[in-house]
Amino acid sequence: MKKNLKVALTLLVAMSTVLAACGKNNNASSPEASPNESSSATGSESPGESSNIEPFTVSLRHIQIGEPQKFRKAILDDVVKKTEGEIPGLKFELDGIEDAVNRFTKLPAEMAAGNPPKIFDMFGGNADALKYAKAGRLLDLTPILDELGIKDKFLNVFSQFTLDGKIYGLPIGGNMEGVFYNTEIFSANGLNAPTTWDDLIKAADSLKAKGITPFATGSQAGWVPNMLVNTLIGRNVAANYPNGLTDGTLKWNSPEFVAAYATYGDWVKKGYFTKGELGKTYDDMLNEFAAGKAAMIFDGSWRSSAFKAGAVAANLEGKVGFIALPAIPDYKGDQTSINANYGNGYGFSSDLNDNELKAVTAFIKNLYNDEMQLRGLLEDGVLPSMKLSDEALANVTDPLVKQVMETMSKASSSFVHFDSVVQKAVNSETELQLQKLIANKATAQQVGDAIQKVQDSENAKK
Amino acid sequence: MKNTLKNPAVYLMFVLPTVILYGLFFLYPMFSSVFYAFTDWDGLNPAKFIGFDNFTKAFSDDQFHVAIWNNMSFLLFSVILQVPVIIVFALLISNVKKFQGFYKTTVFIPSILSTSVIGILWGFIYDPDIGPIAAFLKFFGVEPIYWLAESKWAMKAILITNAWQWVGFYIILILAAILAIPRDIDEAAAIDGATAPQRAWYLTLPLIKPIISVVVMLSIAGAMRVVDVVLVMTNGGPAGTTEVMGSIMVNKAIKYGEYGYGMSLAIIIFAFALVLTAIYQLTFGRTERIEY
Repeated sequence: MKKNLKVALTLLVAMSTVLAACGKNNNASSPEASPNESSSATGSESPGESSNIEPFTVSLRHIQIGEPQKFRKAILDDVVKKTEGEIPGLKFELDGIEDAVNRFTKLPAEMAAGNPPKIFDMFGGNADALKYAKAGRLLDLTPILDELGIKDKFLNVFSQFTLDGKIYGLPIGGNMEGVFYNTEIFSANGLNAPTTWDDLIKAADSLKAKGITPFATGSQAGWVPNMLVNTLIGRNVAANYPNGLTDGTLKWNSPEFVAAYATYGDWVKKGYFTKGELGKTYDDMLNEFAAGKAAMIFDGSWRSSAFKAGAVAANLEGKVGFIALPAIPDYKGDQTSINANYGNGYGFSSDLNDNELKAVTAFIKNLYNDEMQLRGLLEDGVLPSMKLSDEALANVTDPLVKQVMETMSKASSSFVHFDSVVQKAVNSETELQLQKLIANKATAQQVGDAIQKVQDSENAKK
Repeated sequence: MKNTLKNPAVYLMFVLPTVILYGLFFLYPMFSSVFYAFTDWDGLNPAKFIGFDNFTKAFSDDQFHVAIWNNMSFLLFSVILQVPVIIVFALLISNVKKFQGFYKTTVFIPSILSTSVIGILWGFIYDPDIGPIAAFLKFFGVEPIYWLAESKWAMKAILITNAWQWVGFYIILILAAILAIPRDIDEAAAIDGATAPQRAWYLTLPLIKPIISVVVMLSIAGAMRVVDVVLVMTNGGPAGTTEVMGSIMVNKAIKYGEYGYGMSLAIIIFAFALVLTAIYQLTFGRTERIEY
């Protein structure tokens, strides 16, 4: 009997060891977690209370990694430092991850498991923010915005982050997609700036004949060529683009969409894009343009920060112009409309305790204000998502950023990228089909039909 | 002590931790993935049972057909081309007298490199602007070939890279078998007047047949579950022409959150590998034990 007891006890110890090893580590708020940080954070505030303050950590996922993102990272670092100084005991745990990995791999998996970081970089739209909001994973930010009194300071930027009147994410800035062109190459070849469709086509033809790639493109990832396709479609569809795709009023295989794909396919056949573009990455595209081997790129306005001193394509400083895609003859939509997105920003976990909620509120206050928005614009060329005064905007000296802002203010209307509206499966089909069009394995009509088939089955789901 | 060992609880104590870990990290995930394969689970919303929909979707998807064919090309390429090359090289290396260690190390190096490194290395080799192949072709006045960007070349380029990575590993396996054959058998044949090719064909090959069978088995299993080299080199492109079953599974489940569909693809891959290796085992793969 005694032996049996002994055996049973040993078994119990063994089991509890195994179970303890499997358990989740919840010691983040234990006093010994980070004694140094807590004392430095609280030291300046109120030395008398420091003994009662419990240190705690808040995880923060960002995508500001690598050379091209260094300006944005500096802004984030300052916000983190300031917030840590304001909230006693707070220590942010920064976790930098590459953009696409975060958006398509890590964050979805964490959302599925129910353990996302407390603060994280997030995209708006049905495939990201709204999907997570529906599943109850995101913090409703409306009360915080009201408390801080900054809701009205934002531009009209919440459409991709709003569900049932509640705001679930804060876009950090905006961008538009358009044509960057190398002014040196254009003038050396006696070409006009590509502000009209005729000039653009003329330039492309004559550059091609001289052995210069008209448009550098890296289509290994489908979203890169999709930027131009999105603008072409937006210019050819008169209304309700791209929202009409999910309610069935717009169809991928309608003549307007097919014509846009046909234009793209036509450009591929004429050799306007980088040869072997399907094997080139987004970085290759910038490198080709920066090396002067290509005269233009169709890219987002965020690229403007690459063409200044100290940045990756600094050799092109002062030699790059930016314009919206010129008006396209015979296209049926608004020809001065542009693609403008306020799609990327921060989201917050719905699973927060009081301390973490305080930290999140302070983080929002310190990141979303005139000063940081202006810094984003000046240092990084990110268009503000909040209203800035004219005096503040007068600080912009970078000629390229000025051109972007002018182009944007001249536009009569704007439409968002379809990838923030359509379902993920549809978006992946657009990427695959566009690559087939580029590889000459599908016609524009076949591309439209194939995408519409997926769109129909996705629309039928809800 | 004697009595302790008679107590079944003692045995239970030793076995239980392993059984629990095995169940927790192997059986549970496996059976739950079988369950989820029949649902539309997207990772966020509750899973809904949808019967065989995922499987019919997979087999009616053109892209998945391309992927199955690509897996088969991996299989055929490794069994028909790679295995003979492996055997020839193993025979050659086993017969060299000088620097045998050097050759062994050299052929083995690619298999200790990570696939990411190999992807970048071969990405450079295939580069149409600066790669050595392009430079070589240019010397003969041939236009550069866009190996990884053209549909007709991309799959072949990946097959060659994959072969380069794994040939060395299999050579070492077969070489070990060849060197384990007692020298006197070979010498007796030589004294009887058998030439080197005759000895290789009639003596060495039959004696190493069991290990060749293992190599073919590993090649079949490897061809069914290949995914890393594809993800690193082309990510399934250009236009989906190098997609394999594994890469579709990874992209559907992880990138697009269709976990239920991804699980069903995993089961299909498992079934393919199981059936093919079983067929091989029951036909060509049967080997008898050899006593020297």
